[in-house]
Amino acid sequence: MNEIIKIDNVTFEYKGADEKLLNEVSLSIGEGETILLCGSSGSGKTTIIRLINGLIPHYYKGDLHGDVTVSGFDIRSTELYDLAGVVGTVFQNPRSQFFSIDTDGEIAFGPENIGLDPEEIKRRSDKVTEEMEIKDLLGKSLFELSGGEKQKIACASVSALLPKVILLDEPSSNLDIDSILKLKDQIALWKSQGKTIVISEHRLWYLTDLADRVIYMDEGKIGREWTGSEFASLSKNEINELKLRPLSIEQSLTDKDLTEKDLGNDVVSFEGFCFAYKEKAFLFRRPDFSCYDEDELSLNIPKVSIPAGKVVGIVGHNGMGKSTFLRCVCGLQKRCKGKIRIGDKVYSGKERLDLCYMVMQDVNYQLFTDSVENEVYLSMQERDEAKCHEILESLGLIEFKDKHPMALSGGQKQRVAVASAIASGAELLLFDEPTSGLDYSHMEKVGELLQSLASGGSTVMVVTHDPELIATSCDYVLCIDEGKVAYLRKVIST
Amino acid sequence: MSLRLDPRTKFFMMLVVSSVVLISATTPLLWAIRILMTLIPVTLLIVEKKYASAIRFVLLYASALVITFFFISEQSTGIVASVLLGYTGMIVQYLPSFITAWYVIRTTNTDEFMAAMQKMHVPDGITISLAVVMRFFPTIKEEYASIQAAMKMRGIMLGGGNVGKMVEYRMIPLLFSCVNIGDELSAAAVTRGLGGKVRRTSVVELKLTTADYILMELFAVSAVLFVYFKYFAR
Repeated sequence: MNEIIKIDNVTFEYKGADEKLLNEVSLSIGEGETILLCGSSGSGKTTIIRLINGLIPHYYKGDLHGDVTVSGFDIRSTELYDLAGVVGTVFQNPRSQFFSIDTDGEIAFGPENIGLDPEEIKRRSDKVTEEMEIKDLLGKSLFELSGGEKQKIACASVSALLPKVILLDEPSSNLDIDSILKLKDQIALWKSQGKTIVISEHRLWYLTDLADRVIYMDEGKIGREWTGSEFASLSKNEINELKLRPLSIEQSLTDKDLTEKDLGNDVVSFEGFCFAYKEKAFLFRRPDFSCYDEDELSLNIPKVSIPAGKVVGIVGHNGMGKSTFLRCVCGLQKRCKGKIRIGDKVYSGKERLDLCYMVMQDVNYQLFTDSVENEVYLSMQERDEAKCHEILESLGLIEFKDKHPMALSGGQKQRVAVASAIASGAELLLFDEPTSGLDYSHMEKVGELLQSLASGGSTVMVVTHDPELIATSCDYVLCIDEGKVAYLRKVIST
Repeated sequence: MSLRLDPRTKFFMMLVVSSVVLISATTPLLWAIRILMTLIPVTLLIVEKKYASAIRFVLLYASALVITFFFISEQSTGIVASVLLGYTGMIVQYLPSFITAWYVIRTTNTDEFMAAMQKMHVPDGITISLAVVMRFFPTIKEEYASIQAAMKMRGIMLGGGNVGKMVEYRMIPLLFSCVNIGDELSAAAVTRGLGGKVRRTSVVELKLTTADYILMELFAVSAVLFVYFKYFAR
């Protein structure tokens, strides 16, 4: 096997940082190999990807020692645009990796940059769209596509450059299970075409039968190395000890669909949650819709109850109404007239905003002030220092109380958002994919947080694509499909 | 029916309309030219099947015109009249260029735009920056909507009655997320060969059609007539 990527004794740190991201790492990858990089956040996985595609040292500056060679090019002395036809990268965030507004332009973008003949570009686009079966996505605006579809276009636009080496940096972070399976097919296709593939990933279950070699990164060094089959046969305990996410996903739900009767009286009920994104044509005033306009509705939940004081996972395919349901529940979609009933109390309209608090997937949107403490005060009707400190204490944030929220880590930011939710007196806490893109130990922490919130008396609803999270910290699962409730089931506790 | 205009025609339209709106119309003939120039982009919107926005623009423009001509005169006094004058004046004056810009942005995609700029020999640096700006509009809209939602949830839409805070709460998260997206976007773009020394090619073939020539001539003639009757005809 010919060596195509050689990382020779590389040490790297970003400018101004005193922590080494990579410490004397050497790695040799043969042509046609599929390599899986795993390990916790900050272990150096992404740094390796950036070394191979040249973003380090050309885009992200820092101190680089050692040599990196890709397909005969010395990375240090090769400009990024000369690498474009050799190395292709699929990034984590589908929303920020496309340059054009429409899908056709996006696929042609790379080949146009390297100055290919228009005829050749068309031939390549046709071939790629054929192979990937994405004809139906052509001619659309990228802003109308779902996360999974965007990721497909990202893969297609990388394919169109015909690179020998394809890198994927946590590509599944924003995808649901179906889209992940499609991504898996895509990787398998590349593998069959003889491409060299390097994937950095937290979610491991979909890659175990594709990887030829698995590399475990640990604090900037290569900690362990297995062949694909050795890795696949690791026991649950070993995986747990390495703080990795599980290698297989197991359904851990009871078979029985729960009904109103099974739940008893201690429930939170949602009534009349119907909503449509698709608007009827109108000129000045949007026509209202009701639960009877069945075909038009994106969300159609006349009534559903969930047990109070528990953690309820909300699952279902991308774009099938989960996030819409959450937005309607907390009253963000004004035109949804649903009511929430807890005991004898009924909350509708604006009251829903006071009752609920949603922690968004991108928590950066929700932090507005210049210190953690002020963030909590902002949610309080009256400034109550004792209570504020009590909340921060319970979430382990008291030591950061004077810090700027934007200076905290992702997990800490999430807890600040939760702190302000508790301070606002919200009884119903909603989380939108809180663990996508997190490594195992951070995911575990979020799970513990959800459980502690529920035992503190709040009802927690969490939209998630992580079977691991459901198994460890949800009590019930509500499945929404095509805008309707498919089932409510109990999770078998492990 | 679909009409694919060349982006160059659209730029020319935008240039002419934006210049003309800066010159005030004083005689009925000048008004006629100006209204004709406004009706063209509206017609184009209808051709593109964007009926709702076309009708909305027409109604807004027509009502502003009617108010200006029939209800407000130099003798009008009072607060209502002056506020009305302000609003309708602005609409009558600037809406034409707004409609044109709306049409151009709604119907031009990044690829066409870049190809047209290249044909006009604009340097790549400028073209790429402008293309990123075009791509950023929808992004900013999405980000802003998320921030609005977050603010609503916390009941701080009005910033506690403090105008400074109202702006701060919106702008700071928006800037943070736009900077992040911009950074990731440029990293992704350079790995796909943007900024190389080779000349960019384009799959879009631009050709000026009869429709393009007719429209360009129409606009050029109207602009010349407008300027002539405004400044030189006696």
